[in-house]
Amino acid sequence: MTKTLDHLSRLENQSIFIIREAYSQFRNIAMLWSIGKDSTTLMWLVRKAFFGKVPFAVLHIDTGYKFKEIYDFRDTYAQQWGINLMVVKNDEAIAQGVCPKTGKFECCNQLKTEALKQTMDKYKFKALYLGIRRDEHGIRAKERVFSTRDEDFEWDYKNQSPELWDQYKTKATHEEHIRVHPLLGWTELDIWQYILRENIPIVSLYFAKQGRRYRSIGCETCCSPVASQADTVEKIVEELQTSTISERSGRAQDKESAYIMQKLRSLGYM
Amino acid sequence: MSCMGRTVFIGLDGVPHGLLKRLADDGTMPHCRRLFEIGNLHCIASTIPDISSVAWSSIITGKNPAEHGIFGFVDIPINTYRISFPNYLSLKSKPFWEKSEGRSVILNVPSTFPVREMNGVHISGFVSLDLERSVYPPGLLSQVKALDYKVDVDAEKAHVSMDMFLSDLDKTLTARGKVCDHLWQHEKWDTFMIVFTGTDRLMHFLWDAYEDEEHWYYKAFRGHFSKVDAIVGSIIDRLNDNDILVMCSDHGMEHLDKNVYVNAILKEHGFLHYDPALKGGFANIDGRTKAFSLDPARIYLNKRGKFPRGCVAPNDEEKIIEDICELFQRYAVGGKAVCKAIYRKKEIFHGPFIDLAPDIVLIGNEGINLHSGLTAENTSEETIFSGKHTQHDAFLYVRGRDKCPSVKEGFNVSNIIGYIDSLKAERWR
Repeated sequence: MTKTLDHLSRLENQSIFIIREAYSQFRNIAMLWSIGKDSTTLMWLVRKAFFGKVPFAVLHIDTGYKFKEIYDFRDTYAQQWGINLMVVKNDEAIAQGVCPKTGKFECCNQLKTEALKQTMDKYKFKALYLGIRRDEHGIRAKERVFSTRDEDFEWDYKNQSPELWDQYKTKATHEEHIRVHPLLGWTELDIWQYILRENIPIVSLYFAKQGRRYRSIGCETCCSPVASQADTVEKIVEELQTSTISERSGRAQDKESAYIMQKLRSLGYM
Repeated sequence: MSCMGRTVFIGLDGVPHGLLKRLADDGTMPHCRRLFEIGNLHCIASTIPDISSVAWSSIITGKNPAEHGIFGFVDIPINTYRISFPNYLSLKSKPFWEKSEGRSVILNVPSTFPVREMNGVHISGFVSLDLERSVYPPGLLSQVKALDYKVDVDAEKAHVSMDMFLSDLDKTLTARGKVCDHLWQHEKWDTFMIVFTGTDRLMHFLWDAYEDEEHWYYKAFRGHFSKVDAIVGSIIDRLNDNDILVMCSDHGMEHLDKNVYVNAILKEHGFLHYDPALKGGFANIDGRTKAFSLDPARIYLNKRGKFPRGCVAPNDEEKIIEDICELFQRYAVGGKAVCKAIYRKKEIFHGPFIDLAPDIVLIGNEGINLHSGLTAENTSEETIFSGKHTQHDAFLYVRGRDKCPSVKEGFNVSNIIGYIDSLKAERWR
């Protein structure tokens, strides 16, 4: 047990260092809060880093399709924690009728990516904290703690500075913004162990009801629950220590993988 | 620009040099025959591994897999045991049409889904998840749909009824021909590229119909090639003397005798440990595992620090690679060696993404189709497929205004773009 605590404290220290370092470099920084377990853990760390305050704007990208529990949680804790919350929406696309039915990819692109892009432009944010983790998706394997995006939001993974010996490149040129990932080295299990240790409030969707729980949350239209009996944080930690199923298996984007697999199999691949 | 001429690029997926020559000679493909009477048909090598996603990525970028980052249809990202499916977003080098100034029409190049903004028209190929993300510019989508365009034949039909499959194959080709025609006439372009992928599907299921005149589908097999040839003919009739015509395949094909399962062999010899009863595939690989393989036969060491339960320490890597190579050198099924060639990472890969490359790649012996699924119960099995990929006999044909130099020893599909560029440069001088 002592070993686990050491491990978590080390992660906590490193994340707080990254959070403070980024803030000292960019005063026009904001944080993305999806209200999920990772960004809520990040919020917890930010509050620790700045002694209970959140000294910058917190953005919630609202597609209009989030679970009711997410909105309730957001409003309760935004108030309780004194957060300067900015709700980000792409009103134009919504007015044009972009929705999950018109195509999930386009919906995500317009209501999330575009919405964020517009807000970044409008408020001239130079940096953005995100709660992504390296182990959550293949595409994030090459991510950096300080990761530059160009004006088109493109991530040029070849044009990234090395981060050897925890030396981070924290300066940005004028046409790019920097994404700061204080939780990059955390795993899903680390997050839940930390939530347990710190008693961090978490959206109820993560806890099993009638044998099902959400392991990853986003829009109601594109998430499905996994089979689980874990209705407490302790049980979730226990479940993760034995599970072999991927975290995002309930996400619609990952259903496409099943489709590709089927296509490849029918051709004799796999 | 006009004196430079245009470039027309025709891909025939999976078509081996020998088959193309034979079908041109025996009258199945008269337009190709006409072509081959002028200009040279070369036999060239595919990529290693010889699989469409890797080979087409090398063709369109002119790069080694460790430069463009595509090593197969599936991958396992570091720090995970999760299967992922690389797509166009994963391609880490630019395709030629993003490097040239001219306007391009790109139709059905495999592994270019989802499409993105470019100068021209791009309709992606296999695996494309939906037409909406397969067509650029989006304004073209309704037209493409109106022509009944389908990215790929429904190969699952072949597992139900070969007649249904062939009819779907024919419909897919007809629609592809119509879209090709439409784009040719209505778009302005400097480079036009079309890939025919039905050829690969057909040969996978019916290679035996190519070899056996008595085969029920002998005529149907040749019929499909004739139809492809007719579309090729309609394209070459519209070329002028300044245009460069390039035809190529991404890999070859030959008769398939047996599937051989690399992971089952690794497991049998104690390199791989997992419980096949558990769902979740590669996620069940346990901490004693020294190596595992991904399709078709890309072997990765389960390195410490690279994979979650990696156990191979840097000092032990060489020895394990040695042992695995030795195992596959002598491994035989029914008295026949399963491997024709065994390559180590450094022999075949170079580029910034070499750390993501497999440590060993096996090339199956004649008739032996190497596979890396985890579900196989035996090390080898008969299969309903009758054709398998080959590495050594893709083809290349180039016809330009000037004499085209012959290709060098060791020429492979990643050299095609460079070859075409040097032809164009020669013309400028």
